[in-house]
Amino acid sequence: MKTAIGDRKGNPVVYVVLVAFSAVFLFPMYLAIINSLSPLMSTAALLPNGFHFENYKLATTMIAFWSYARNSIVICSISLCTSTLVSGLVGYAFARIQAPGRGVLFMIVLSTMMLPGIVTQIPTYILFHKYGLLDTYWPWLFWGLGGNAFFIFLYRQFFSSIPKELEEAARIDGCSIFRTYWNIFLPISLPVVATVSIMTFQGSWGDFMTPFMFLKQDHYPLATALSMISYTANGTKLVIQSVATAAGILLMLPVLATFFLGQRYIVEGIVTTGVKG
Amino acid sequence: MKDRTRRTFAFYLMVSPWLIVFLLFGLYPMLYGLFLSFTNYYGFNIHHLKFTGFHNYHNVFTDTDAMHALGTTLVVTAFNVPLGVLLGLGLALLLNVKVRGVGVYRTIFYLPSIVPALSSVLMWKFMFSSNDGILNNILKLLHLPEVNWLGYDYATVSLVMMLLWGAGGGVLINLAGLKGIPRELYEAAEIDGASGLSRLTHITLPLMTPVIFFNVIMGIIGSLQIYLQPILLTGTELLARPIEPNYLYFVHAFQQIFAFQRFAYGMALLWILFLIILLLSIVVFVTSKYWVHYETDQEG
Repeated sequence: MKTAIGDRKGNPVVYVVLVAFSAVFLFPMYLAIINSLSPLMSTAALLPNGFHFENYKLATTMIAFWSYARNSIVICSISLCTSTLVSGLVGYAFARIQAPGRGVLFMIVLSTMMLPGIVTQIPTYILFHKYGLLDTYWPWLFWGLGGNAFFIFLYRQFFSSIPKELEEAARIDGCSIFRTYWNIFLPISLPVVATVSIMTFQGSWGDFMTPFMFLKQDHYPLATALSMISYTANGTKLVIQSVATAAGILLMLPVLATFFLGQRYIVEGIVTTGVKG
Repeated sequence: MKDRTRRTFAFYLMVSPWLIVFLLFGLYPMLYGLFLSFTNYYGFNIHHLKFTGFHNYHNVFTDTDAMHALGTTLVVTAFNVPLGVLLGLGLALLLNVKVRGVGVYRTIFYLPSIVPALSSVLMWKFMFSSNDGILNNILKLLHLPEVNWLGYDYATVSLVMMLLWGAGGGVLINLAGLKGIPRELYEAAEIDGASGLSRLTHITLPLMTPVIFFNVIMGIIGSLQIYLQPILLTGTELLARPIEPNYLYFVHAFQQIFAFQRFAYGMALLWILFLIILLLSIVVFVTSKYWVHYETDQEG
């Protein structure tokens, strides 16, 4: 089979270009990792310099690293438990239940995907300030309960592709609409549930702006703490770059781990649902 | 009839969590923010706001900082979006040739786009740092003059470089698009003796235009709102002002709101950017008639 360029056998030029690009994409990560493993205060190097964990030790002890990490876990858990399930339920309703006003509401869902988040976040901050909800985790519960427009869209695409017979069989058996969703549709949508969970986790783990606005330092998650507190040498304003890099790598690890665990689902999810709808 | 009302009831019950949260925490704050942008709200006067009409909006256009930042933002967007879209498409095209180990390359290209923004900034800062940074060490090895990557002359280039590092995320969507092109088209072209290049320009690219269109729109929306990367890359802390070349429009809005508590003015800044995004999207939509290929029997 011939495709757009080249043949099945593979053109050597293609491999050279692929390897070159891979090197470029991996280079910053490679350098960050080997240098964070270098001895403390060593000069930046291109080649590995053994395994020294001083930078990591300082990264986790110079600030209240683990207590920030615990806050991260709390925030991620709230989002995971709510957003993933609610998005599925809403996506199911949009895909499978005929009702007046459905089209208009779905257009609204799609248009909220385009809206810059900060346009609503700053007034929300002002409102929460008024009602004394700042520096609590309540906002995350509210947002989570509303689901997420993109995930609603993903679920809807998936549920739309399931044959009608499945539903009819369930109805003949006397299943209610909720039972049909819970017992039949949710179990077969596990790849989407996995994709959405991973994306939710990655999003809320890395988000440092929202907590910066809504929380005070003691309640900061790791990402916000790392953006606000720098690892400075005693008494000076000089940032110890290698320690900061080590912290950045620690922040990245859970995200990479979940990605590798679920990459099959993510790739499948995006490739099968596509963008054309 | 009874079945219909039952279904309508179930539908609204199921979408109600989203609908309620959207109304309370989406639409209401949005309109509230719009309202505030017409007042003199500065943080302490919520109970005696003064209505100032279009004063804040007028100020945006006479604020040289804002206009200058808008210019810089448009320049960054003009480089970031086309380069990012091309990179995503080009890499996907390469991966779509039946190569060995597609999965590995795909993962490598996609990986940077999922790294938390903060981690990537910390890594790139390390690369860019002027005294003893990696990039400068490499330049030194090659006997080339060292560059102050985060200084006045190169800060914007460095920013775009860092942003493009994450552009591999577009590979997945492009691959999905490429998989959707019917094989028969290529087979027919092969029988007609079309060369690889003409298959690319006559089949692949035209059929990929809807995906390219989507990426351009999303790219513009995302790029005009960049503020975290320049702040973190070239500022000393979140509320510090990054150096001039990386002082983008959203950074300015962020500064006005959080550093100076000029909430009303900040909201006006955000709404103007929102209108600019809308305008640019409409321009792309209108011109899409001339370059985006739609199958005739299918709605967009």
